[in-house]
Amino acid sequence: MSQAKMPAVEMVHLVKRFGSFTAVDDLSLTVEPGEIFGLLGPNGSGKTTTVNMLSGLTSPTSGEVRVMGYDLRTHTRQVRQVLGAVHQETALYEELSAWVNLDFHADLFGVPRSEKKARIEQMLALVQLSDRKDSRVSTFSGGMKRRLALARALLHEPQLIYLDEPTLGVDVQSRRALWDYILGLRRQGKTVFITTNYLEEAQALCSRIAIIDHGRLVALDTPEDLKQNFGGNVVEIETALPFEALVELQALAGVQQVEQDGLALKVATRAGDRVVPQIINLVAQCCEIRNIMVREPNLDEVFLRLTGTALRD
Amino acid sequence: MMREIAYQLRVIWATARKDVRSALTDRLFTLLGLFVPANVLILMSLFVLAGSNAPTTMVMNDTGPYAQAFYQAMSQAHSFRLETATAEEAERRLAAGQAVAVVTIPPDFDSSLQQGRPVQVGVEINNLNTDFTNDIRRAIPLSITSFYAKVFPNLVSVTVNETDLYAHDTDYIPYLAVSILVIALMMGGMMQAGTTSAREWEQNTIKELLLSPASRTAIMLGKMLGAFLVGLGSTVIVLAVLILLVGVAPEYWLEVIGFTFLALLIFNTLGTLLGTLVRQRMPVIALTMGISLPLFFLSGAFGPISFSTPLLQAVAKIFPVYYQIVVLQHAFHGFSLNTLGLAGNTLVLAGFALALITLMALVLRRSTIGH
Repeated sequence: MSQAKMPAVEMVHLVKRFGSFTAVDDLSLTVEPGEIFGLLGPNGSGKTTTVNMLSGLTSPTSGEVRVMGYDLRTHTRQVRQVLGAVHQETALYEELSAWVNLDFHADLFGVPRSEKKARIEQMLALVQLSDRKDSRVSTFSGGMKRRLALARALLHEPQLIYLDEPTLGVDVQSRRALWDYILGLRRQGKTVFITTNYLEEAQALCSRIAIIDHGRLVALDTPEDLKQNFGGNVVEIETALPFEALVELQALAGVQQVEQDGLALKVATRAGDRVVPQIINLVAQCCEIRNIMVREPNLDEVFLRLTGTALRD
Repeated sequence: MMREIAYQLRVIWATARKDVRSALTDRLFTLLGLFVPANVLILMSLFVLAGSNAPTTMVMNDTGPYAQAFYQAMSQAHSFRLETATAEEAERRLAAGQAVAVVTIPPDFDSSLQQGRPVQVGVEINNLNTDFTNDIRRAIPLSITSFYAKVFPNLVSVTVNETDLYAHDTDYIPYLAVSILVIALMMGGMMQAGTTSAREWEQNTIKELLLSPASRTAIMLGKMLGAFLVGLGSTVIVLAVLILLVGVAPEYWLEVIGFTFLALLIFNTLGTLLGTLVRQRMPVIALTMGISLPLFFLSGAFGPISFSTPLLQAVAKIFPVYYQIVVLQHAFHGFSLNTLGLAGNTLVLAGFALALITLMALVLRRSTIGH
C-alpha cells in the first residue's frame, strides 16, 4: 500500500494503565488522510492520554499506534518528523521572541538552512504575527500565542497536525481566525487531529468525531450522523397552562427525557421512535398548545445522552 | 552519515544557544547562578578567617626582655590575635565577650626566671565555646615550650629535626580556598544546568524537545553546553576572587583551565540529571545546596583525606568532588594528595563524566509525560 493511501492514524486496541487505573481501554480508531478528526470526551475521559500516546510522549501499556504508516514503537523518529503538535499549554519559550522560538524549532526539526528564514517569514505572515516577530512571547495575548504555536507546528511541513484544545481561552474573534487556519490546512491536504471541549468547534471543523468516555470509544461518526443516529427528535412545546401529566408523558414508549420549565416543555425522544404525534396529542388533551417546535438534537444533547454528562462538567 | 552528524550537531548548538538566551533573560536565576558560587567562596573564607585566631588580651605587668620574648612566642603560635591592655581593660573585654582569654604576665616574671624560681602566668578563659577554649589550652603550653626553646636553648634537650615534603609551606587559607573553588564550581554548575533543565518541565516546553526527531542525547548535550557557557561566567568570577583577592596563584595554569572545564562538565551533567528527575527549579536549588555542603566537608576540604578516618576516606572516594580537589590542589599548589597520580585522578574523573552522561541519556530517553 502506498503511503498516500494509508490511514493517517491507526490506533489498534490501545490500552494505557496507571497502576490499577485504566485511562484508555481498548481504543481502536482510524483517521483518514486529509480529514479533520475530532476527539471529544468529558474531563478525565482519556483524551490527553490518547493524544500523548499518539505523539509518543507516553508509551501504551498494550496495543499499537501507527502514524502515516509508521509504527510509533519502531519508527518514533519518522513519526515525529511527520507530526506537528500544538499543545494546550502552547509550550512556547515565553522569555524568547516569536522569531527565536520558530528559529529553534526549525533547527530542532532539521528544516534546511537555506529555507529556514523564508519559511519562518511565511509562517509568521500566515498567522499575522510578522509585525511582532521580535517581541517576547510573554507579551502576547492567548490568541496570539495559539497562532504562534500553530505556526511553529507547521514550520517543518508535517503531514499530520495535532491540536489539543486549539481555541481554549481564546476570544471569539481569534477563535474564528484559528478556525479559518485549521480549515485552510485541510485544503492543503493536511490531516488534522483535534481534541476539543467545544462541540460548536467540533461541528464547525471536524469531518468525523470520536466520543470517548472512561477511556472507551462511545461513538464515532460524522457530526450529522451522530445527531441522527444517537439522538431522536427534540420536541419543544409552549402551553397556555402548566402541563401536569408528566408521568404519562414519560411513560410513552420512545420518550427519553422530559424537562419542564414553567410553561415550557422539552421532550427528548429516542432515535428511530415515531413518538412525536403521540406527545403532541397527549399534551393537547391536557391544555392548550401555543407553540410547537420539533428539531434535531444539537451535539451537546447527543454528548449528554452518550456520556451522561455535559462536556464541561 | 555525515548529514546525520551535521543535524545532531546543529541540534546541540541550537539547544545550547536557546538555553543561553533563556538564561540571560531570566535575571533572577542568572544572578543566582553567577553569584551563589562566589558568595560561597566569600562566606567560607570569612568562616575560616573568623575561626582561625582567638582574640586574646595580654596584661603585661612586666616588660622585661623575658616577658617580651614570651609575648613574641605567643604571637608566633598562629592561635592568638593578641592585644595588650591594662588589667581593668582586659577584664572588661573578657566580660564583654571581646576576648576569649586574658593572659597576665606577673610583675616578677623576669626576676623570677633569672633566679630560677617558678612563675605562674595567669590565664582567664571565656569558656563559652569549647573550640576556642581548647585552642587556648593547647596553644599556651606550646608557647611556653617555644619560649624556652628560644630563650633557654640549653634547657630544652628534645628538639625537632624537620624535613619537608614540599619546598614551601602552604597556609591554611590558600589550601582551603582551592577546595572552596571546587565546591563553588559544583554549586554553580549543578544549579545552572539543573534549573535550566527543570525549567523545561516546569513550563511544559519539554514537549517541544521530546516531540522533535532529534536524538535525546543531542538535546542533553546541547543543554549541558548551554549550562557550561553560562557557568563560565561564575567560574571566571570565582577564579578572579581566588587569585586576585585571596591571592592564590596557580602553579600550573593549563591544569587549572583543564580541570575546571572537567569539573563543569561533571557538575553540569549532574545538574541536568537532577533537573530532569526533580522537574522543579526551587527543589533543584535546595538539593544542590544540600548535596554540595556535606560533600565539601567530606572530601578533604581542610586537608588531605588520608588524614581522615578510614570510613570517611572510603565514602569520600565514591564522589567526584574528592578527585576534583586532588587535581586542583595539584594545579594550584603542586600537591600530590593521593597515590593515583595526576593521570589516574584524571581518568577517574573522566570515568565519572562518562558514567553520568550515559546515565543522563538513559533517563532522558525514558522520560515521558504523565497522564
